[in-house]
Amino acid sequence: MIRALLAACALLLLAACGGGGGGVTGSTAVGVGASPPPPPTPPPPPAAQNFATLTVDAGPAGLSSGPNGYIQYNVAYVSVTLCAPGATTCQTIDHVQVDTGSVGLRVLQSALSPAMLAALPIENDANGNPLGECYGFVDGYAFGSVRLADFQVGGEKVAGMPFQVIGDGGAFAAVPSLCSSGGGANLAALTALGANGIIGVGVTTTDCGPACAAAGGHSAAIYYDCPSSGCAAIVAEAPSASAPFQQLPNPVAAMSVDNNGTIISLPAASGAQASLTGTLYFGIGTETNNALGGASVLLTSTSTNPNGAGLINVVYNGLSLGESFIDSGTNLFLFVDSAIAACTGQDAGYYCPTSPLSLNATLQGTNQAVTSVAFTLDNAASLLATNDAVLPGIGGNPNQFSGLNAYPQSFDFGLPFFYGRKVYTAIEGRNAGGTTGPYYAF
Amino acid sequence: MSREWASIAFALGSCLIAAWPAQASLGGRRDSIDADRRHLGAQLSATVAPTHTVHRLTLPNGEVIREFARSDGVVFAVAWRGPARPDLRQLLGPRFDDVQADNVLPGGRRTRRPLAVRRPDFALSSGGHPGAFWGVAYLPALAPPGFSVTDLAEPSS
Repeated sequence: MIRALLAACALLLLAACGGGGGGVTGSTAVGVGASPPPPPTPPPPPAAQNFATLTVDAGPAGLSSGPNGYIQYNVAYVSVTLCAPGATTCQTIDHVQVDTGSVGLRVLQSALSPAMLAALPIENDANGNPLGECYGFVDGYAFGSVRLADFQVGGEKVAGMPFQVIGDGGAFAAVPSLCSSGGGANLAALTALGANGIIGVGVTTTDCGPACAAAGGHSAAIYYDCPSSGCAAIVAEAPSASAPFQQLPNPVAAMSVDNNGTIISLPAASGAQASLTGTLYFGIGTETNNALGGASVLLTSTSTNPNGAGLINVVYNGLSLGESFIDSGTNLFLFVDSAIAACTGQDAGYYCPTSPLSLNATLQGTNQAVTSVAFTLDNAASLLATNDAVLPGIGGNPNQFSGLNAYPQSFDFGLPFFYGRKVYTAIEGRNAGGTTGPYYAF
Repeated sequence: MSREWASIAFALGSCLIAAWPAQASLGGRRDSIDADRRHLGAQLSATVAPTHTVHRLTLPNGEVIREFARSDGVVFAVAWRGPARPDLRQLLGPRFDDVQADNVLPGGRRTRRPLAVRRPDFALSSGGHPGAFWGVAYLPALAPPGFSVTDLAEPSS
């Protein structure tokens, strides 16, 4: 009932805002001698515009030019705006990758104007020193400063939000050895990241959780004490998705409204094409445009799981793959099936079926909900030979990349899974449309 | 050799012995597992199988690392799973350089694919996403007779 009333109010507000010829309406002359009208009640704040445009295209300006340039594929981008806290120095950054597989906002230093960078304060640690961060991705690491900004995406805002400036200078110029010990590439260059930034909107409320709340240690302990001599000691930072912040929050979890998850809505692609335009919605079941509806809800592992949060079980080819996930930040379907023809040469590791292959997988949530998914695998060599950014049906085999016939344990449903679907990602501990996250739904 | 030289040589040798385990686990001896345990602040337990022993390191953040050792103590495989990728420079020793060399970002079309190594004498397969990583590194030539890569699988609990 309350929800219906709120929805009706939101509609009225939208009508008032979009009606044109606005100004004061509905005022009536008050007759002499009539009792004075009651003082007007202030209108409720307008509902935030809870969505932003998503684009799958060739990537930011400058990515495809230069010696290491390339045409990006299967990456969904959004624009975000950063302002110096409480100030008017602002910058809108385009081509920020939307990643349901990570958490926290990260922006390349090279994507920020010198004036913007100078205006963004660096967060301090408990020693009063600047705070640095090392964040591991599947192919490398992002290292840089933690800064504070008034953040906006669509109509949603977070004041004074910590985010990472990847490849920052000064005390952050040298990557600590412990950070690079996770292996892979330094993702500080535009061609390495393939985006001007990454907005991680995964299933947890902060980017490290309790593991970073203790000083010292290794692995997930990712925050660094960075005096002018450089970053060395690992420091404790508390996980909080609301002010006062310490760790990077999930930007959606930190919003004042529509903060229980996201929906990625992208149209279907029948074949390789230059671009796709869709919508990233904030909130699930919080507005008239983000209802859960009849989507199947698959609860995922939580952050108390030693293997990590956001994992579901997938049954493929009769094998149960317990560390599977749905991830907008992966470009392709990643799974093991030695019966499918593998590409060779420069495309080794990808799948190259001679004709489109119809496949099935069964996804199981930790709530035992089961959903069957059909998908089509296409020839990766043919897809990669195009100049298109939307490559549906591209897949790869982790065992083919290594030649090691390791035990399969994971099915990674990357961005091609999102084409032609609305995929819901609900945040841990948040009630989203009647079910508490973390979950995926589609 | 004078007694002085002998003592210097002994000291140097001791240094080398002391330093060596800290540099290598994959391809190293069992004492390198203890070095890993100290370096990572981990709890250690072991399970004996017919062809090998699995030394299981549990890190404070819940990460689990399994080191596979032959009966003579040589570590021929290392597997990990948990919320972060572990310190591979520590766990893989000199083979870490191979990982880095083989995972330089390619020019041209690029997939954000997991770290992988495909060499005749060294293979590494990995996967996951931030907050949930897994992987395995394997030296096939050092594996004991009768060992199968399927033995690298985590026993179902």
